[in-house]
Amino acid sequence: MNVGQQTTRRLALRAGRSVCRSCKDTISRNYASATAAAVQSDDQIAQHVPPVAQTAPQTSYRINAGVVLSRPPQLTRDLHPFEAAYFLYQRRLNERTALPFTRYFYYKKRTPADIEWKRKIKQRLTPARDIGRYKGYGDEAWNDELLVGAKESDVEWQVEQLLEDAEQTGAENQTEEGNEEPTVASARKKVAHEPVERPMPRTTEADLKNDVKSLNRLLQRTLYLLVKDKEGNWTFPQATLEKETLHAAALRILDQSAGVNMNTWVVGNVPIGHYKKDYHEPLTTSSGLNEVGLKTFFMKARIMAGQANLKDNKFGLTDFKWLAKEEIHKEVPWEYFRSIRNMLADR
Amino acid sequence: MNLSAFRPVLWPSRFPISAAAHCNAPSIRTPVPATTSPFSSTARLLKRKKGGKNVTDPRVTAIRYHLQHPLTPRPLHFSRNRYLRHWTIHRAWLLFLRKRRRAEELELERQYMAMRAACEHLRLMDSNGNQVSEAEAGGQGPDAGTLGPKGKEVGRLYRAAMVKRGVWGSVPIEYARIQTDFPPREGWNHGWTRN
Repeated sequence: MNVGQQTTRRLALRAGRSVCRSCKDTISRNYASATAAAVQSDDQIAQHVPPVAQTAPQTSYRINAGVVLSRPPQLTRDLHPFEAAYFLYQRRLNERTALPFTRYFYYKKRTPADIEWKRKIKQRLTPARDIGRYKGYGDEAWNDELLVGAKESDVEWQVEQLLEDAEQTGAENQTEEGNEEPTVASARKKVAHEPVERPMPRTTEADLKNDVKSLNRLLQRTLYLLVKDKEGNWTFPQATLEKETLHAAALRILDQSAGVNMNTWVVGNVPIGHYKKDYHEPLTTSSGLNEVGLKTFFMKARIMAGQANLKDNKFGLTDFKWLAKEEIHKEVPWEYFRSIRNMLADR
Repeated sequence: MNLSAFRPVLWPSRFPISAAAHCNAPSIRTPVPATTSPFSSTARLLKRKKGGKNVTDPRVTAIRYHLQHPLTPRPLHFSRNRYLRHWTIHRAWLLFLRKRRRAEELELERQYMAMRAACEHLRLMDSNGNQVSEAEAGGQGPDAGTLGPKGKEVGRLYRAAMVKRGVWGSVPIEYARIQTDFPPREGWNHGWTRN
């Protein structure tokens, strides 16, 4: 025990207002006598409470811990139509402001890549592959805007163009040189194609079947795990808190309700929301307290792989669903949704 | 594309005046032979190469073109109506961005306030789940050193929730998956099992 510690302790004991509570706890934890003194004084204060308060039956709340297990969005969101149109507009303008593409720097002369480039640039007039024909300079420069409903503004058309460009190998390039404007169809016939893998569709099979148990559904949204309890109410997985922290309770409840075969992560120690419900009539608990309601504190958890499995769950759960925010709104009672809606992500 | 404009007019080797000449010091340097390979500092022997012409590497010309283009960036010239259209589109985009950012801010604020309300509820909750007053809990305000009559049992869950130790050590690497434009070929891994 050095002098510095003694001074700190003396300061802490003498003037409590200058040292914060957590620091004071830390300091006094090392000294059994100080702790004992503090406990004694607390007891003395507690004894001064008039006994009138003890006669009335004490109220209590049941404290639950809940787990908001969510699957984060897997796909980027669909663009707003205005956003999509604006991005296309800017990409086309970029072809006008950027420096011309330097073919000599990237392609050696008379190589297949060079010839392929010349063929492509003759068709689309611009280095960008997915914005359609664009010419920002020359006599027709004024006419560089797309009309409403043009096929170039369709996202699927743009993806198709990128794929088509990736497919063309440039092995045979016998396009007709005399034709001033070779149509895309005629040029496509002559060039060797090497098929590339198509991307998977953004709407999956589970979306079409509306399979609420599948995690492949609504890939652009956050999905939350809801379970059906013994009374037939849809809630987040929850259970009564024992002598443990909320984080430990969340881990336990996840394992006991939805099985261990999920790769999950409980995000932090802090609850992200709470739900309080008062009973119509108080219950009497085993310890002689009047239980007047319940409070549920929700912990945030994420799932990275796996699927919920209600076999052998400890809480009598009968069913589960993976739902987005508005679907939860339809399933749960209004006062429950009012408490949880602010902690759920919109997307 | 005619790149002759970007060939160097003043070839440095034709002017053997070095920096030493400005210092009035007697130049002891031997004249540097004309280099034909611009990516190498070693003088190449001109006799080896037939012709011995000063040929600029086309890559150097292209780099010069990019670095010294007089129209970098090329200006946008619009007619009056086209400019007004552009301006309208730009203003609409700014409005759209502002609305979207505001919505995102509000969503974050809602989530934060839900979290804050839960923590505040925990802070003044005793072991039976009842709310107590600040005076009963103690440890607050000007007399922060003294606990109230119920101070010991109030806020146990709150203190446990405020522990920050190990919060960042537990982030799993699978959580680093970013959103993509198209789903994976296999879909969600429903068959994952723990060991």
